[in-house]
Amino acid sequence: MSNHKHSAPLSDMVLRVKALESLLVEKGLVDPAAVDALVEAYETKIGPRNGAKVVARAWTDPAFKARLLKDGTAAIAELGFTGLQGEDILVVENTPNLHNLVVCTLCSCYPWSVLGLPPTWYKSPPYRARAVRDPRGVLREFGVELGADVEVRVWDSTAELRYIVLPERPAGSEGLSEDTLAALVTRDAMIGVAKVPTPRERVA
Amino acid sequence: MPVLTAAMVPLLVTKGRSARRDDAVPARFKPGDQIVAKVMSPLTHTRLPRYVRGRRGVIERDHGVFVFPDTNALFAGPHPQHVYNVRFSARELWGPEGAATDAIYIDLWDSYLDRA
Amino acid sequence: MNGIHDMGGMDGFGPIEREADEPVFHEPWEGRIFALNMAAGALGKWNLDRARYMREQSDPVEYLTLGYYEGWVLRLEAMGVEFGLFTREELERKRTALAAAEKS
Repeated sequence: MSNHKHSAPLSDMVLRVKALESLLVEKGLVDPAAVDALVEAYETKIGPRNGAKVVARAWTDPAFKARLLKDGTAAIAELGFTGLQGEDILVVENTPNLHNLVVCTLCSCYPWSVLGLPPTWYKSPPYRARAVRDPRGVLREFGVELGADVEVRVWDSTAELRYIVLPERPAGSEGLSEDTLAALVTRDAMIGVAKVPTPRERVA
Repeated sequence: MPVLTAAMVPLLVTKGRSARRDDAVPARFKPGDQIVAKVMSPLTHTRLPRYVRGRRGVIERDHGVFVFPDTNALFAGPHPQHVYNVRFSARELWGPEGAATDAIYIDLWDSYLDRA
Repeated sequence: MNGIHDMGGMDGFGPIEREADEPVFHEPWEGRIFALNMAAGALGKWNLDRARYMREQSDPVEYLTLGYYEGWVLRLEAMGVEFGLFTREELERKRTALAAAEKS
């Protein structure tokens, strides 16, 4: 089934994009340097490393964590992460008894300012259709098996709030520095489809 | 609006464009209220997904006031109103195939909701 | 609208296909069309809700079979015409000219 291919471009896709850009630039409606700057920003500056720093800070600074869970947007802004598709953020916390999972069933809403642009699977019909209907099956597919006693909360971010999961701090990470902890945190854990690997799993 | 220049990109990217408004619109619901999502099928844009229409949920939190996309998409005005996070149990949405412990939380505009 | 985009709860799409170490953009044109959509949107002729509505009006078969950014190409072409940024004919002429230039 080819319904969620990311890039099997129509043979003329490159040409069509070139035509669009060149026409818009000719008409003075688009500055190609702005296009360059946008691509560069999302390719190099804005990505899941931002979110990982937020998580690591929350794990090491209880006062920050309290602020983060109370007003995610403001607490994340303390670390300098603000902006497009992160204007209003809610942070939801995983615990041993509670697992959170984020999806956008209607389109592809995602907290760009902390996670960057979403991976293709997040935007694909299989994930969007199934995350709300069979979250435990989706999680199993990602290798996360939850006990029947664990509550699953699926956050369908179809409105203006963007969601990020504060994952559980892994066992064996006591005493690690904030930077080392941030390096353990994965994008998928902040979407809620994975757990953060323990330092030992990370090495293995 | 002026053409976006490279110099404007950092501001656009880091400031964003919140749909939040500070209009003093009264909230019809408060956390804990029981609601039912309306059954409606506009031919135009809406953020009320089919899978919650007609289903009963509970207001989890009030996010404040936001532009209403259904009218904004048609250039028919921002109609700012409260957006609430609403909890629907998996059983309410999917019947016996839903896990008894699980729930779906979704943000819905005031216009989409009736008191249950 | 009760479109194909509103897919929460549907069955039958198969497993979730993931790509290890996925790049932000797979090809340069994906980055260009992403940024062109943002730059054109910044002109203020339409808003993000309208852009979403436009995407929802895609042909359902296309919506499911085209790649994500391919959908964005079709959308910007359609919105540019609808909101008077350019005409369909200008776009065709530009494509023909670029294709010819590439061949020569």
